[in-house]
Amino acid sequence: MTGPSPQELLAAVRGWPRVLAIGWLYQLKMQAQSGFMIMTALIQPLIFATIAMADQQAGNRGLPVLYYALGAGIMGIWSTVVFGCGGMISWQRHQGMLEPLVMAPVPFALVLMAITLGTATVGLYSLVATMLWAALVFRVHVQLADPLLFGVAGAATVVSLGLLGLVLGSSFVLYRNSNAISNMLEYPVWLITGLLVPLSLLPGWTHPLAYALAPTWGVEALRAAALGGQPLPAIGWCLGTSLAYLLLGVWLVGVVERRARRTATLSFQ
Amino acid sequence: MNTSSPASIRPLHHFWRVFLIGGLISYRALFYWISPWQYVPTMLAAPLFQILFFVYLGRATGVASTGFFVVGNAMQICSMAGIYGMTMAIANERQFQTLSPILATPSNRLAIFLGRGLPVLITGLQTSCFGFLASALLLGFRPVVAGLPLLLLAVTVTAASCTGFGMALGSLGLRVRDVWLVSNIAYFAVLLVCGVEVPLHQLPAAVRVVAQVLPLTHGIAAGRLLAAGRSGGTALTDILLEFLVGVTWVAVAYLLFRYFERAGRRTGAFDRL
Repeated sequence: MTGPSPQELLAAVRGWPRVLAIGWLYQLKMQAQSGFMIMTALIQPLIFATIAMADQQAGNRGLPVLYYALGAGIMGIWSTVVFGCGGMISWQRHQGMLEPLVMAPVPFALVLMAITLGTATVGLYSLVATMLWAALVFRVHVQLADPLLFGVAGAATVVSLGLLGLVLGSSFVLYRNSNAISNMLEYPVWLITGLLVPLSLLPGWTHPLAYALAPTWGVEALRAAALGGQPLPAIGWCLGTSLAYLLLGVWLVGVVERRARRTATLSFQ
Repeated sequence: MNTSSPASIRPLHHFWRVFLIGGLISYRALFYWISPWQYVPTMLAAPLFQILFFVYLGRATGVASTGFFVVGNAMQICSMAGIYGMTMAIANERQFQTLSPILATPSNRLAIFLGRGLPVLITGLQTSCFGFLASALLLGFRPVVAGLPLLLLAVTVTAASCTGFGMALGSLGLRVRDVWLVSNIAYFAVLLVCGVEVPLHQLPAAVRVVAQVLPLTHGIAAGRLLAAGRSGGTALTDILLEFLVGVTWVAVAYLLFRYFERAGRRTGAFDRL
């Protein structure tokens, strides 16, 4: 038996963007209607944004309100990623969809990537919501220093967090209690990536961890584009971490898929 | 030889048996985070990170001292058990389709209901104590020693009132489709409304009124006074108010539970999801 010809392979690869786009759109529509996701991406970030902005106004006002609004927005994206992507393989298994997805002729990693990018995109709700909240409730004049680069930074942040979700989703599947890990991962990442607390206030040993995590660069890029600064280096770091997550995620998905095929445990918890 | 208890003792004995043993069994069956693999990340690590997060946020904004955030958060994390645990202990009966058999028994409803609260209350108390201990080790938090016994009382009463509040949410779970959404919103809303992260006087007047009838508000106020060494009548009054708020929520919860039970009997829809 011979493998696919180069022409067949090329035709398959040409279909990948369509798979990614349709999967992304489907996931976006599905997650946007989930009550839990709306809570995670909309209500929870608004509560945290209100806390941070109220503390800012009652405290030393050292940093602008928009600084906290943007941080709380990224907190929402991280929450959707950690909960939405952390359990994605388990959820597909629970729904009875895992076997058909693994058997499909497109790479399994591509299918999962569409899911994680769709989930991270839902998190954009939180960014828009916290900025509107700052403008409407806290009377902040929201004027972006560079709207175009702000959009680019937002897109880069979503892509990098979505790909980080691919890494999380494929590694969490090895643990039966992945939901507990998701519960535990919200606050530490919010803290060490400087979403609401400047990195300079945190112990030095947390900084290398922060630099390896996409939210650090995402929020820095968005703040620089919104408040004035140089967003391009942070956008570059966002894309760099995205590439690293992509390679790591594809490798991890392959490991999980091969292991499940070898031990015939694809449908077992 | 007649070994049976006198008739007047039997109902009381039955009440305590359902309250203690039934409560423990239901806790073991329905509290999802009971295994160490769930308990440690969810009930210990996540609350600890919550304390650290808000202490550092407080340092960044300069709104209040480290002690303000340690006491507020270490007391609020007991609501992790109170709100989510009680939602599990009541609403999961419906989820697992075991509500009908339970309500078909002649057991005392109050014993069934309250018995579920005791293990949850103890779990909440454990979480708060862990929060205070970890804050002492990691953040250098040092409450005034003389106030510790009353602080423990304040934490216990607060854990109890959170359990009462959770009972009401759990009772709602006998009817509403997605009670977890309600519980999640409640858990995060108390952070804002009850003066946990933002000094109460900084909040709008309407929010301050709502805070008076929610758990945590008075307990945390008492806790902050006691940790600072001000163990006068104000702290005791706050503890008493927290207790009254808790009792009120238990009463509301029990009335909701009985109402939904009667409605379920009438419509035959106990386990309909």
